[in-house]
Amino acid sequence: MNYAGYVAAAYAVFVVVLLWDLILPILRIRRTLRGVMLRVKRDAAKDVPLPTELQR
Amino acid sequence: MNPVVRWFHQLGSPPYFDRFAARWAPWCFGLGVLVMAWGTWQGLFVVPADYQQGDSFRILYIHVPSAWMSLFVFALMGLYSAIALIWRIKLCEILAMACAPIGAAFTVITLVTGSIWGKPMWGTWWEWDPRLTSELVLLFLYLGVIGLYQAVDDRRNAARAAGLLAIVGVALLPVIRYSVEWWNSLHQGQTIRVFGESSMDPSMFPPLAAMVIGTKLWFLGSLLLRARADNLEREAGKHWVRQRAGDETALEHTP
Repeated sequence: MNYAGYVAAAYAVFVVVLLWDLILPILRIRRTLRGVMLRVKRDAAKDVPLPTELQR
Repeated sequence: MNPVVRWFHQLGSPPYFDRFAARWAPWCFGLGVLVMAWGTWQGLFVVPADYQQGDSFRILYIHVPSAWMSLFVFALMGLYSAIALIWRIKLCEILAMACAPIGAAFTVITLVTGSIWGKPMWGTWWEWDPRLTSELVLLFLYLGVIGLYQAVDDRRNAARAAGLLAIVGVALLPVIRYSVEWWNSLHQGQTIRVFGESSMDPSMFPPLAAMVIGTKLWFLGSLLLRARADNLEREAGKHWVRQRAGDETALEHTP
């Protein structure tokens, strides 16, 4: 194959950009859901009554 | 109510759209990859080399579909933005803004692969040719839409402002399309015609058709995924997102 380097470089760019296009939103979704989950856990922890001066 | 109309209304509901996107995006990606893999294999190893350009012509199997996608995605973004501005449909705002990074990605592929092809064929990486320059302006427009959407804190106002830019930017599309006819251009004219005879040899066409279909399927998958991400971020405080986050976390921890 002639111009093999140019052809390979062009296809590599294509694959890299499409992979970026795939990975970025997946990471965004995971980050959002993890953030929501952490907030749920924080809220649940707030509902547990803490030992206070009055209880002692 | 007509089932199609009812489904269309249901799709506007954020939880319903989330389920829909989560279900169909992997299928679109999977099918897109399969079709593009076949097209790439055919384009690289089966179709004979061009008698003038040699094997460098094989770059067109990614360059041409990406160029078409860069225009198609911008037109679609303009359409979604218009619908969002006129009827205030939140999902259309999300879909319009999800189009921008995907279109920008295809525009980058178009410019870079065109440049890589141009070096051995034209003897230069870049030329301030009308087609190349107008495609570069398209990339700047995409970046402008993305930047404007990120610059405003209120998501709905941001989508409206960026959508307006997208609608105005649609005027560039015919300039790109007809630049090779209106001005004296180094870029070759139209060789593939949907209606009428193409000047491309028929043996070279099937891989190109596969890549065109494959990139469309990929775009659909990416659009659903990006719209889902934006939808989840906007609705992060709602009960259904908390439920979904719980479900996904449970799935992740299942052995």
